[in-house]
Amino acid sequence: MEKLLSNIDINTECTYMTKGVQMPFCKGCGHSHILRKLDEALVKLKLNPEDVCLVTDIGCIGLADYLFDKVHTVHTTHGRSTAFATGIALADKVLASKKLKTIVLIGDGGAMIGLLHIVNAALLNTDVTVIVADNFLFGMTGGQQSSFSPIDFITQTSPLGNIIPPLDLCKVAVSSKAQFVARKISTDKDLVNTIVEAINYNGFSLVEILELCTEYAVEKNKLKGTDLVKIAENHEHQLGIIENKQERKEFSTAYIEKFFKDRLELNLFSNFITPDENLVDFKSKFGTEQIGIIISGSAGEKVQSSAAMLCQAAAQAGLFTTQKNDNPVTQGSGFSLSEVILSSNEIYYTGVDAPFALVIVSNDGLKELISQAVFDRVNEDTIIIYDESLDIPIQTNKMYPLPLRKICGPDKAALGGIDVLLNLIEPFPLNNFYKLIEKRFGDYSKIYKADLIGMITNN
Amino acid sequence: MIDTVKKIKLRNGNQMIAEGAIYAGCKFFAGYPITPASGIYKGMIDMLPQVGGLAIPSPDEISAIAYCVGASMRGFKSMTATSGPGWSLMIETVQYALITETPIVIAIVQRLGPATGGATQGAQGDILFSEFITSGGYTIPVLYPTNPKECFELTVKAFNWSEKLRTPVVLLSDKEIGMTTETVDYSGLEFLPIENRKTIEPDELIDKDWKMYGFDNLGDVPLFAPVGGKIKVTATGSAHNKEGELKKNDPETISILKHLEEKIQAHRDELVEYKFYEEENAQTLIISFGITGRTSLEVFRRLKDSNKKASVLIIHSLFPIPKKLLKDVSQRYKKIIVAEENMNGQYRMLIENLFEGKEIIGVNKIGSMITPQEILEKI
Repeated sequence: MEKLLSNIDINTECTYMTKGVQMPFCKGCGHSHILRKLDEALVKLKLNPEDVCLVTDIGCIGLADYLFDKVHTVHTTHGRSTAFATGIALADKVLASKKLKTIVLIGDGGAMIGLLHIVNAALLNTDVTVIVADNFLFGMTGGQQSSFSPIDFITQTSPLGNIIPPLDLCKVAVSSKAQFVARKISTDKDLVNTIVEAINYNGFSLVEILELCTEYAVEKNKLKGTDLVKIAENHEHQLGIIENKQERKEFSTAYIEKFFKDRLELNLFSNFITPDENLVDFKSKFGTEQIGIIISGSAGEKVQSSAAMLCQAAAQAGLFTTQKNDNPVTQGSGFSLSEVILSSNEIYYTGVDAPFALVIVSNDGLKELISQAVFDRVNEDTIIIYDESLDIPIQTNKMYPLPLRKICGPDKAALGGIDVLLNLIEPFPLNNFYKLIEKRFGDYSKIYKADLIGMITNN
Repeated sequence: MIDTVKKIKLRNGNQMIAEGAIYAGCKFFAGYPITPASGIYKGMIDMLPQVGGLAIPSPDEISAIAYCVGASMRGFKSMTATSGPGWSLMIETVQYALITETPIVIAIVQRLGPATGGATQGAQGDILFSEFITSGGYTIPVLYPTNPKECFELTVKAFNWSEKLRTPVVLLSDKEIGMTTETVDYSGLEFLPIENRKTIEPDELIDKDWKMYGFDNLGDVPLFAPVGGKIKVTATGSAHNKEGELKKNDPETISILKHLEEKIQAHRDELVEYKFYEEENAQTLIISFGITGRTSLEVFRRLKDSNKKASVLIIHSLFPIPKKLLKDVSQRYKKIIVAEENMNGQYRMLIENLFEGKEIIGVNKIGSMITPQEILEKI
């Protein structure tokens, strides 16, 4: 075997197959025929051996690898060949030589296992050709029925005749926006030409080739090769070239146009926050090095983004922060919650076991705090800032009922609550926080409908 | 002069895994959304095109990892990210990557299982599940950071080992690390040298008897040839000889199956990653990892003002199990506490036989993070 594919001159070799190799299939099996036609097609195309990759999987047709020693071969897991081929083709076309022709050889059993992979390769329109050797059953394991078995087909597992209709794979391919789709009989005289067209096609192509398993199908079902047309017709499975158009771009063309033209250079190491030098001494201010704040409200009311502003301002002040968000699985409804820790030390444990402050701005938010048993973890000094409409189930020494929703509006109630908290405790100089607010919402004096901060400082 | 200026960003572990992958030279990512790992997918979709790479959505996790393996066979560093439910689907293909000696990194961001479990609830329940997934019991290196900074650094290490050993490497994380945004000081990041798989070049074929899966010693790693290159690739997921031809149980084939494990074992000492926080007079050693590793560090900090003493060993390389390290470090302690957020103490079950004659205590829990108090009570 020549290991350097670039040394092979296909004009003198005239074949991509292994010299003198014996077909490993039963006498009369269509697989031998299909593989010879594939070889003829490759010879017609005169592809550079290094630019061809055969991807196979499990089943008799998957034995094809070693028959083709003048191309790359990748033997994969059952039904997954199209997925591996897609990865190979995507990488080649977008990231590498862009010359590789990736050809999948798969049986009807594998095609059904990997139907999703075929559908997605077709949707992507990546340059993969899928050749399905469809003999209506699982041959390698003893002739069990497959999802492609015709009605009344007798197999090891349908001894009285199959009662489940066969899949029309070509229709699935067409529905998946495949632009080259054909169904052929293995003995068709023009099979080579169809395979040539499919491989040559720049994008996804599929050729389903009907054949009979001589070992398990012929005798039991009293079938001849000439019956294949009838089987297809009985199930209204169209024969010939079913689709052949070039309306969509091959994937890599579309991707490169969209993402690589005028692309920005990535710089991971820019836009840093340079913290202020005058660090706040939390220990002397709060008697603890870190404080936990829980902000709770409703989805869509900017709870989490307001908490993020708090963290950013704290980071600018040289503090360590963590922010942990929580919401129901359906993100746009119900509660929205952020747990924030501010600390003058590196934060190891990210839980807020005993909250220093709660900001509660809606009933959704309150219900979630109750459900998470947060009120069991507060103490008499916990600051609770909340919308005055809410019925808080606990009383601490530091309760701040405020018309947050009325004055700030629902989407700024969390922000207002945080603003109030920061004014109460001043964990860091507040100018950074106000700069962030103004950047996002404009002039600070116009954000709230009344003097929110005045309501607490005047008390 | 040492740069003492802090360079702060607010980042979560998922974002830092994506940034680490970009730094490591990852050029291909296929993703399927799943909480709590989706942030990695999003990060790669945003960043990869800007470095000339390809990030692509896939229709399921089986396709995602198969696309990655295909792209890696074509010669490009590839990664995917998922959580327990998606990992379940990827296992077939992880084994394929293992036997075909295809480098790939899979980030698993753990959530509460089993099955769909709790999508937004953190857990450390996939310790065994991340490792023991192969028919034949092969070792898959598993690295586990505790914070965003380590997410960056261990992602680079995961790629380096995957390339060097030509094998799948798991980067384990959890919801708390992946989705908690925190201050990250980039000035403290360690930028490791990048390693790439060793390849065979066409002109080397003249004097080298190169084979697709060839090696001299069982622990050697074969030289890589990409699909689509000048050298013929014969890849297979079935048992094979060194040429890549399908075989069952001839001596060469069996030697290859042993080599797949041996090449990991040959490097097991170099794979060891840990951090040790030693308290001189302590008689208790806390062993932990991931989010609970951080909680253990908090315990270590709180003990500074206390009469109780404990040292903390954070394991980053869960697999291969760093047995020598565990034995050496644990030697002088009477009590070993293994803290992990899962039901049965999965890692403890694997390592407790290393601590003969010592008192071994598990701190375990599901449904919420282990608190510092819960560990403190056991010291």
